[in-house]
Amino acid sequence: MNGTILLNVEDVSRRRAGRAAVTDVSFTLNGGEVLGLLGVNGAGKSTTLSMLSGALRPDVGRIHLRGNDFVASPGVARRLIGWLPENAPLWPELSVEEHLMAFSRLRGANRPAARRAADAIIGRLQLGELRRRMAGVLSQGQRQRLGLACALVHEPALVILDEPANALDPIQVGELRKLIRERAHAGAAVILSTHVLAEVVAVCDRVAILHEGRLRHDAPLSGDGAGTALEATFFAIATGAAA
Amino acid sequence: MSVAAVAQLELRRLAVRPLAWALAALTLAWLAWTFVLGLGQFLGAQVKLAAVADAPGFTDLVAIPLLAELARLAFLVVPLMTMTQLAGERRAGTLALLASTGLSPWRIVTGKYLAVLVWLGLWLLATLAMPLAVGAESTADWGKLAAATWGTALLLATLAAIGIACSAATSFPAIAAAMALIVTLVLWTIDRGAQAAGVSGGFLEWLSMATHLQNLLRGLVVTSDVIWFALAITLSLGLAIRRLGTDRERQ
Repeated sequence: MNGTILLNVEDVSRRRAGRAAVTDVSFTLNGGEVLGLLGVNGAGKSTTLSMLSGALRPDVGRIHLRGNDFVASPGVARRLIGWLPENAPLWPELSVEEHLMAFSRLRGANRPAARRAADAIIGRLQLGELRRRMAGVLSQGQRQRLGLACALVHEPALVILDEPANALDPIQVGELRKLIRERAHAGAAVILSTHVLAEVVAVCDRVAILHEGRLRHDAPLSGDGAGTALEATFFAIATGAAA
Repeated sequence: MSVAAVAQLELRRLAVRPLAWALAALTLAWLAWTFVLGLGQFLGAQVKLAAVADAPGFTDLVAIPLLAELARLAFLVVPLMTMTQLAGERRAGTLALLASTGLSPWRIVTGKYLAVLVWLGLWLLATLAMPLAVGAESTADWGKLAAATWGTALLLATLAAIGIACSAATSFPAIAAAMALIVTLVLWTIDRGAQAAGVSGGFLEWLSMATHLQNLLRGLVVTSDVIWFALAITLSLGLAIRRLGTDRERQ
């Protein structure tokens, strides 16, 4: 599915707590593409990600994933998504393996298929030693890896990662980047929301910058000077100089 | 399939949560004590009872009071069991995660409801084991005991549905428990005022949960009572599903 449009976001708006959190956001995302979503706090990143994950319904606008309308058939669309929310919410009383089995089973896999999927992602994310450990006793970095495993266990077409490098050590960050590229090579589209510009430069093909709920920049990242150019663009938008 | 997966997940969580075990241990100990006391009084009154024609037996004096005691405890236990089902999940952020798997609100609510029902069913069975163990060796009125058990099961199912609905309405488990307790107590006592005024047979009497349970505890299975419980369960679960469905609009 590399190169074909997987996600189509059309004029999406959403009000939260009485104010416009996201206004007229539109973009498309191809299979195999990694999009970095940047913005200062309150820019509308989390609201956008919540709408893309299906947790929030847009007030207006349409979101199509592989042709499935999020409003008309949210269940079908959401099965194609793997979502890692910020701070990786988990059930503290369940083990790593139980989480992965549950997320697989909840998406309709039978027990043997869920077991195979859990084993595969445990192996890929090197969670073997933590397999039987309860989520409640995991360190923040381990929780983050488990959250990531839960998002990827069903091999989703669209992976949404909100601050996935939170609490990871440099080696784990390197592993995360490799994993994101790996999923993209396999044809999945990835949306990565982060505050760390270097993270976007290192792993993304394209970058979108949200400011005050509006999409102010959407362009590919390429070339040796991509990092410097992105930094300049980001600060110009964030400080209002680019208005 | 997904309903079963939600129920299974919830049962697993209940099984490793200390609250479920603590509630089961404490309430069963209390019920066992109540049973032993009731049995002692029943055995002590054997001579007097033998002299009375159509005297109440083991079922009336020991088994049904035990189920009535379980019903009383359920008003406190069920809200505690259901309070975290949706409110706790919403507060922890796992409800949105659960919804992101593509599960519809009715599947989430039904799965969680079934898990609570399994726990309550085991609680009822463990309680019932006490009179059954003794009743097997005596002349228990099995029909009356079956009707009372059915009534208690319907009451538990209704309390669980109300608890789930209250849990769906808030993000705070303690508020969910308090709401469930108040709603169920109001439903239980709603006709007290009418009774005190000497009015009977009105709408408030029909609305009262006590009216419908009393018949079943007396051994009378009346269709209208069963329909009342079915309506209460359907309405409560419907409200929970509706509230969960609006989560995507509300946040």
